[in-house]
Amino acid sequence: MDLLDSIGQGLANALTLQNLLFALVGCLIGTALGILPGIGSTAGIAILLPITFTMEPTSAIIMLAAIFYGTSYGGTITSVLLNIPGEGETAITSLDGYQLTKKGRGGAALTIAGVGSFVGGTTATILLIVAAQPLSQLGLLVGPPEFFGLVIVGIALLVGLVGKSIAAGLISAAIGMLIAMVGIDPVQGLPRFTFGSAHLLDGISIVPVLVGVFGLGELLHVSANSITRPKAPKLRELVPTREEWRRSAPAIGRGTIFGSLIGIIPGVTATISSLIAYSSERRMKKHGHELGTGAIEGVAAPETANNAHANAAFVPLFTLGIPASPAIAVLMGAFLQNGITPGPALFQSEPLLVWTVIASLLVGNVLLLVLNVPLVGLWTRLLAIPFPVLCAFILVFIMVGSYAVNRSVTDLIITAVFGVVGLIFRRTGLPVAPLVLTLVLGPLLEQTLRQSLQISNGDFSIFFTRPMALVLIAVAILIVITSAATKRKRPIAEVILPTPTPTSTTQER
Amino acid sequence: MRFTRPLAVAAAAALAMTAVGCASLSRPTDSGEASESTDWPTGPITMIVAFDAGGGSDIGARLLATALEDELGVPIVVENRPGAGGQVGYTALANAAPDGSTFGLTTIPGLIVSALDESRGAEYDVDSFAQSALQVIDPMAIAVTPDSDIQSIEDLVAASEAGELTATTTGIGTAEHIALLQFNEAAGTDIRPVHFADGAAPATTAFLGGNVDILLSNVGDIMPTLENGGARAVGVLAEERSIFVPDAGTSYEAGIEVMIGSSRGYVFPDGTPQDVVDRMSDAIGAVLEDEAFQEQMANAGLQPAYMDAAEYEAYWHEQADSIGSVLELIREEG
Repeated sequence: MDLLDSIGQGLANALTLQNLLFALVGCLIGTALGILPGIGSTAGIAILLPITFTMEPTSAIIMLAAIFYGTSYGGTITSVLLNIPGEGETAITSLDGYQLTKKGRGGAALTIAGVGSFVGGTTATILLIVAAQPLSQLGLLVGPPEFFGLVIVGIALLVGLVGKSIAAGLISAAIGMLIAMVGIDPVQGLPRFTFGSAHLLDGISIVPVLVGVFGLGELLHVSANSITRPKAPKLRELVPTREEWRRSAPAIGRGTIFGSLIGIIPGVTATISSLIAYSSERRMKKHGHELGTGAIEGVAAPETANNAHANAAFVPLFTLGIPASPAIAVLMGAFLQNGITPGPALFQSEPLLVWTVIASLLVGNVLLLVLNVPLVGLWTRLLAIPFPVLCAFILVFIMVGSYAVNRSVTDLIITAVFGVVGLIFRRTGLPVAPLVLTLVLGPLLEQTLRQSLQISNGDFSIFFTRPMALVLIAVAILIVITSAATKRKRPIAEVILPTPTPTSTTQER
Repeated sequence: MRFTRPLAVAAAAALAMTAVGCASLSRPTDSGEASESTDWPTGPITMIVAFDAGGGSDIGARLLATALEDELGVPIVVENRPGAGGQVGYTALANAAPDGSTFGLTTIPGLIVSALDESRGAEYDVDSFAQSALQVIDPMAIAVTPDSDIQSIEDLVAASEAGELTATTTGIGTAEHIALLQFNEAAGTDIRPVHFADGAAPATTAFLGGNVDILLSNVGDIMPTLENGGARAVGVLAEERSIFVPDAGTSYEAGIEVMIGSSRGYVFPDGTPQDVVDRMSDAIGAVLEDEAFQEQMANAGLQPAYMDAAEYEAYWHEQADSIGSVLELIREEG
């Protein structure tokens, strides 16, 4: 078969000592960058890009691609163990991941995350191999109106994230939306809430807000309360239990589907995949109510989804020549620098290169699995560091990370301010998840709405005459109605008071 | 940011003293350069790039920085200061010490829009910089779907009279938006913009998905889409045809006198000694002459377009005038 032949050759080429070595180096660098909050894959690839000018193109691209998907593995470690997510997608993981660490299951959560990422990444890559062309057409069906529908679905999922108090959830969501409004309005070009500062014209970056609310907020809260810190788990506690595997498997499956499908849509970040995968776990009958209190599904689903997304994001790059995310855009720069234009023509003009790079995605996912799962024990030793020392290190990492995004002192101030906001959230019991959701989706909601109306020249029927947009909006309405109905059926006491299961109050802490 | 000014002055003073100190200590340099009045460059030069590392502007600047290191014999440190469409970096550049130790990449129309649009509250204006040299003019290309009936700019004008057309931009006041307004004004068309403030990738996606009729983009940025057969260029808004899309006619050929694109050049903060500005200008000119360098730029989709300090300054002010009048239009549309 032609396809098997091509991928076979690609695999053989990806497994040469040199290419294997570069994939390994990329995975290591990616993991290291992921551990540092703020320095995401985009900055990592951009910084290393000039080094690759002298390298052989295939090796260069293999290494940069490995950095790209390696960062999402690294980010998981600090989110789960220390509650310091570096990017939006890992912020979702930390919601349950950190609660698991508090219960002494942090090692198991990391193992599950590693396996889930492997499954998600590998499945998405196989999809890329067998069905890249039709998938890319699917991605193109998503124009601004459909994108708007997708965002509305995301916003509707908010009802699953609000926690025990709807009012508290909506307050959190509104704050997130308000933060998202800061900056130059995307359509009129007028500054909003910038208070005359050029640094706010671009809006408030997500990373300083997240490391502030999650990382710094947690540090302040823990320092001020003398809460017992999670202990480093013993070696045998690193292995997930049979029960944990059994519960993770379906979550990994769903995460793979969400990540792979959403990943092929250009312009949608992995955070959205994570959010949707996580929210859908919350809506599951059996264990949904446990999410937020340290449920293994809450780590398995978003971690799988974001890695599936990262690999699926290569579909639009290889088939349409469209970089689906900022990190992929920098990666595309690497292709262009080497005189290679990503796109459908590449499969004809440079088949070996394309198939080698695709095969290297498979190889890289295996490498990350064997690198990270055995290292889980080492990572969890982080928790054995005396808290005052660890606290100081974390503070340094937080500040370096939020500075690194834009190399701007303003971001440090934003981090500090949101550290206090995070403390207030924890003290008052406001949930953090809705804030993350609206912070990520807010700008997209506004842009896609207004782009759609620019296309239709102000006619709102564009949302109802296009089938996919209509279906997505209907799904959103359905989610809200069913959630409202199930909420009402439950006895009031259960809605207001924490359920007897591992108390839901822990989620807000 | 108030406290930065005294700091900058102090830094400038300190640097100036160091420079004087070094000048008196260093031995006279060889033949040609000995005649120059100052001993520039004496140490590393910072190149402020107001965009993220890895983008089109950054790649061109980094290529030049590497070549300039050989030409000038001192390290050139590229410092990315992204934010607010370049405004954050331009502010840093305008406030830098005017002693030749800092220069930076500026793009037109981006810089001029940020300086002229009062709502942006920029701390600098079009006169805050000393123009040194232009490196690139990346003209704006107009592209349609490959199966479209539109073959030329003339066809486009005719089609826009027959029906409503939409075109992508990367946001209000961007090169694409200004190009579209200037084109509409000059050709008497009414092509409506659809703004994709989050960048060229979503704009391209919407175009490929058939949601927007026309893809507007710099030649350098649009090349991958053209090479992949996703779009066909019908024209460029320039006086001369682009070496990258030689088949696309120019706006001037169609009798529409609009010339716009993204032009990237290098400036010092205003007040930098003119001989420093000129020597940098000559150095950039020498680099751009080099064939190997031209090939590197071509790989990155960039067409060299050198202007020396005087030519670039004239071009700068000419652009400021024409962009100023378009901004009036945007304000009226408001």
